[in-house]
Amino acid sequence: MSSEDSNPAAVPTPCQDVQGDGRWLSLHNRFVSNSKDKEPDVLFVGDSLVQLLHQFEVWRQLFSPLHSLNFGVGGDATQHVLWRLGNGELDHISPKVVVLWVGTNNHGHTPEQICGGILAITQLISNKLPHAYTIILGLLPRGENPNPLRTRNARVNELLQEAVTSIPQASYLSVDCSFVQSDGRISHQDMYDYLHLTPQAYQKVCRPLHAAIKRLLDKPNEN
Amino acid sequence: MSVEELNPAAVPVPVEDVQGDGRWMSQHNRFVQECKDAEPEVLFVGDSMVQLMQQYEVWRELFSPLHALNFGIAGDTTCNVLWRLQNGELQNIRPKVVVVWVGTNNHEHTAEQVAGGIMAIVQLLMSQLPQAKVVVLGLLPRGERQNPLREKNAVVNGILRSSLARLGAAQFLDVGAGFVHSDGTISTRDMFDFLHLTSSGYWAVAKPLSDLLLQLLEETPEERRASLV
Ligand SMILES: [Ca+2]
Repeated sequence: MSSEDSNPAAVPTPCQDVQGDGRWLSLHNRFVSNSKDKEPDVLFVGDSLVQLLHQFEVWRQLFSPLHSLNFGVGGDATQHVLWRLGNGELDHISPKVVVLWVGTNNHGHTPEQICGGILAITQLISNKLPHAYTIILGLLPRGENPNPLRTRNARVNELLQEAVTSIPQASYLSVDCSFVQSDGRISHQDMYDYLHLTPQAYQKVCRPLHAAIKRLLDKPNEN
Repeated sequence: MSVEELNPAAVPVPVEDVQGDGRWMSQHNRFVQECKDAEPEVLFVGDSMVQLMQQYEVWRELFSPLHALNFGIAGDTTCNVLWRLQNGELQNIRPKVVVVWVGTNNHEHTAEQVAGGIMAIVQLLMSQLPQAKVVVLGLLPRGERQNPLREKNAVVNGILRSSLARLGAAQFLDVGAGFVHSDGTISTRDMFDFLHLTSSGYWAVAKPLSDLLLQLLEETPEERRASLV
């Protein structure tokens, strides 16, 4: 436990309201109260990549029909998601599948710390929702050209992939649909700001994800 | 000019690449490149409110047909937009209308400074593109409940409304009506994170804007000359 305590990516931390409009806590409170009258089969948790998915047609096409809830908050790092999930967002629901996508905003943390933060979230989910299965999505490359954050995210993915093999109720899913072209560049057709996905890129990412969720939902209940 | 120099919101500043992936400069460079290849009738400049609009259907429905370019970058302040416009994003294009929507990210600045920063952008546009008309969109309310940033944005809008009335070629369009409900809350149906617009939130904003743009495009001097011939 002490190693987790010393990992800032694995210490539950609420986002400070530096701007002064209280939006982060508003969203969290909304998720908590929203979850009370919903019975989602699938829960998406994470940062803006999760949050924006909710705004596009692909959500209504693929995930609404599966009874999905979206708890994405732009800018969140692993320690923020850890705080949200430990403070009510999982208390009123029992989804069968949790999709976790977070880590690219963990600036200043090492790949080992980020991986540790994601594993801490996975652990919290399995404590709170012992019957749920967690799909951990790999971090996407970012930036138009090769850069240290791409290297960092790739390293996080390697570590995750290996660590997750020993967790029975979780798996790792790579959603990098060849976003990096042969010249090393990422196109704004896929990531409009070289970080966030365009609707067409979400379509690419979501098809394999949807298939993976469906497989889990269709599995006979083993509990 | 000395007053403007004293206003930190009117000083051109590039965004520092603190995260290390160079995304801001990549986007700026792409915009500069787009200027060389495109002949836009309408140019949108600003922050995420501008940028995100291009990802929704409303952009293809209402603005693409007007030959619009979108130079929005999330997180940008008036300072960052000023820097971009002074460093290539106005070269090689002659849009008839420029839509400016920026200011809600100027967290370090007072309402007066933010309004001054937006006015500096308008003045730059008018000097660089003397044929163009400028539309300044009012800052939207933000946050689920009443909060200081809503008040600040409302003050910015008040100043802009009167300052822009004095500049012939620029006009102010308030697109914020209807977002704050009678109980003082903003709904996630309009702003999914109490700041950024949903698809339906964008429709509410884009319809009056598109009407105004169509009207301004028809009124351009070129058109008037053409109709006299
Ligand atoms: Ca483009």
